[in-house]
Amino acid sequence: MTLAGLPLAWLVGIGAGAAAVTVLLYILKLRRRPVAVAFAPLWHRVLGDRDASRLFSKLRRWLSLALQLLLVLLLCLALGDPRPSHELGSGRHLVLLIDASASMQATDEKPTRLDAAKNVARKLVRGLGGSDRALVVAMGAVPVPLSTMSDEATELLAAVDRVHAADTRADLGRALELASDALHGLPNGEVVVLSDGVLTPPEPPPDLGGAALRFAPVGKSGKNLAITAFSVRRYPLDKSRLEVMTELANLDSERAEVELSLFGDGAIIDSERLVIEPGARLSRFFPDVGGARHALEARLRYADGRADALPADDRAYALVPERRRAKVLVVTPGNTYLEAALLLDEYLDVTDLKPSQYPPRGAFDATIFDGVAPPPADASGGLVYLNPPAEGGPVKLGKTITGFGFDTWDKKSPLLRFIAPGDVQVATGHALDPSPGDKIVGASDDGPILVAGNRSGRPFVVLGFDPRQSDLVLRPAWPLFVLNAIDSFSESDTSYVSAYRTGEVWRVPVPPGAREAELTAPDGSTHAVPVEDGRAVTFGDHAGFYRLTSGSDATRVVTEFAANLSDLDESRILPHKTLTVASRQAAAPAVGSGGVRREVWLWLLAAVLLLSVVEWITYHRRVTV
Amino acid sequence: MGLLDLLRPRKAAPAPAAKSELFDDEFQRKLEMLALVSRRVFSGRQRAERRSKKKGSGVEFADHRDYVPGDDIRSVDWNVYHRFGRLLVRLYEEEEDLSIYFLLDCSASMGFAGSQKFDQARRLVASLAYVGLANLDRVTVLAMTEGTLERLPTTRGKGRIFTVFRFLSGLLPGGTTDLAESLRAFAAQHKRRGLAVLVSDFYDPAGFEHGINVLRYEGFEPYVIHLVDRREAEPELDGDVLVVDCETGDEREVTVTPGVLARLGSAYDRYLGDIERYCTQKRVPYLAADVTVPFDEIVLRALRRGGFLH
Repeated sequence: MTLAGLPLAWLVGIGAGAAAVTVLLYILKLRRRPVAVAFAPLWHRVLGDRDASRLFSKLRRWLSLALQLLLVLLLCLALGDPRPSHELGSGRHLVLLIDASASMQATDEKPTRLDAAKNVARKLVRGLGGSDRALVVAMGAVPVPLSTMSDEATELLAAVDRVHAADTRADLGRALELASDALHGLPNGEVVVLSDGVLTPPEPPPDLGGAALRFAPVGKSGKNLAITAFSVRRYPLDKSRLEVMTELANLDSERAEVELSLFGDGAIIDSERLVIEPGARLSRFFPDVGGARHALEARLRYADGRADALPADDRAYALVPERRRAKVLVVTPGNTYLEAALLLDEYLDVTDLKPSQYPPRGAFDATIFDGVAPPPADASGGLVYLNPPAEGGPVKLGKTITGFGFDTWDKKSPLLRFIAPGDVQVATGHALDPSPGDKIVGASDDGPILVAGNRSGRPFVVLGFDPRQSDLVLRPAWPLFVLNAIDSFSESDTSYVSAYRTGEVWRVPVPPGAREAELTAPDGSTHAVPVEDGRAVTFGDHAGFYRLTSGSDATRVVTEFAANLSDLDESRILPHKTLTVASRQAAAPAVGSGGVRREVWLWLLAAVLLLSVVEWITYHRRVTV
Repeated sequence: MGLLDLLRPRKAAPAPAAKSELFDDEFQRKLEMLALVSRRVFSGRQRAERRSKKKGSGVEFADHRDYVPGDDIRSVDWNVYHRFGRLLVRLYEEEEDLSIYFLLDCSASMGFAGSQKFDQARRLVASLAYVGLANLDRVTVLAMTEGTLERLPTTRGKGRIFTVFRFLSGLLPGGTTDLAESLRAFAAQHKRRGLAVLVSDFYDPAGFEHGINVLRYEGFEPYVIHLVDRREAEPELDGDVLVVDCETGDEREVTVTPGVLARLGSAYDRYLGDIERYCTQKRVPYLAADVTVPFDEIVLRALRRGGFLH
């Protein structure tokens, strides 16, 4: 037997002190309450019988003292945490990776797979040996340790209770790396993965050192329907009308007749029955959707009312793109083509200004500088520079070029959406010299001619030539380019507004100047999020509608957005009974005898408790007094 | 105005102590009732219901009464027993006046913790003294404490009852009980023998027998009135206490439990039984006077039982 707690010298000191105090208290006579009686000899007669057995009484008092000293001894021993010598140094070190991904919300295990995994984790914790230690990790998109490497069952069980499933996939690779780091230098390491096996094998596989890999599978069924995509957009040429796109998946092995319902602002606005072949995906468009002003929600279920195993991917959310009148300032000596392009969008509130009148009063979503580049006012919004002068623009001008066009361009850039600029001919202009961080959207062989970027939180677009020196103004691409630029600044473009995807870092635009924002989650909880480069940055792990409040009191802006799981891999919930990492198949974990702790100090404390009860009863029954 | 008021001396100094709460108007009315009862006893010639101790010449047969344990078997009227099958003893009238000594225990235990024993004792003494005075007996009241005596000189006649009241009202309980020493002093100071009514709780550390025996050996006729307060055997105590004797200061550590209280009650009962048994064996009239029983009831019991009046 070896003491794992306080050292022996300490225990002797503490025990001697406690015993001395106990004996002292025992020796000190209790000051009894004096009570006058009429005739004390009567009491002497009563107590005479006891006097006859005074020796026995004394023995009982000594027995009581011995009992107290025994309690002191047991408590001191408990402080010492005695353990069998053969157990010390041979304890296991376990890292319990509890899968907290979306697929663990599946209800094929009652109530959920996560609860089943947590039950297995609890058994493992309760079965830990006296020298075993464990660490509980919630394995979501980011692995989160919820306890220390501890042998305290209470702490570990509380950590297990704190594991909650998120609407994300689990990152097995990062979790194994964390486990490997936690077990570094510790003997008898074991990594226990408690999961349904719906995991992406890590590439490259992490090195677990000498730690053993264990796998406790949960889950029974893979029957699932899923909404894998859900988005809404305004029609580009008629922004008063909406179009909704959904993508459904049948992840069952049987053909499924499903019912897809569309809700607008909480009320059902459309519903239809579809048939999806086993393992197939089906896209479905809802053209010209009416009845929704703010929020849209899609719900999927079997047509016969049955529920599938994973409810988390049966609902998807989207917000209707905001359609507000964008305020545009045009600083130009006069440009008919520009004025004509701006007339095409009835939702634009255009203010024309001579360069000499700049800056005006008021705030704008976008400012177009045509051939000029004065210092921009604070509330200028996004900046569009058309053929800027050499000084004042955000981008330096390069050499003068002639007879060029768009030889390369960024096809994914929102500035060139619906535009094919390859055949645009330009007579003369300047090559641009972008700064690091700027994005070249279009370029000729002689250099960049269309650059986008950000200066002090203010976005800008620079076109390196006068449009009137090209045939661009004669093409449909010209008004589209102008409107795309304005839309990109006012965040009301006409693309499909795909909701944010859970399990990723979200970068939500906030008004210029905002340094911090407050995010309200779908469950109503709020927390502050940082702002970097004009965007609030946060990690999203739950689907639903979010509210982001930014700016100070006077300029407070509320931005709403939606988030969806939209992860086909996570929706494939067919459980795996084995786990293989780097060609190494995980074995089943060794579950100890649940509910039995082998620490001696626990039994010592139990003995103390029992003896205290005996002492209490005997005292109050006047047996030992 | 009560009957006693007529007996009050007109020129005597006012006796405020006599109008104390102890001997209030209610008490005096009961006393008048007791006097009437005693007169009826006399007129019916039942005055000799107590067993007689008188022997020799000059003693005239008066009546019979039932035999009680402790009576001298020589006084049994065997003729009556032969004829009727009843054990009766012969009673004789005394020709001389009787000296009645009231010996009142004034130790601290008599007034313990607001006990009513002392008040009950004084009322009993006053009542019986009045009966004696009404019978023209010579009445002497003595207060005993710590082996000493405080004495009301011998008096006779109803009119002296207020003197008795004043004397009793001025007494306070205190000191220790030493019946033997006090009664030895009493016997030495009083050569005229007579009825000695000993009123006490008999909480004498030296033993209750000694005091009674002194009276017996010195030729007095002891009459024991034992003041009993049952609450002393049933104290409301629990836990660890230090019991202290109210007279001697003797201490004893006790852990009071229901079992201890039960044994205390038994010991108390045994103590009472011992005193009564001893008195019976020694043919000493014994009367237990519980403080919860009205004094007049106790006096009537004494009168009816006999032994007090000749």
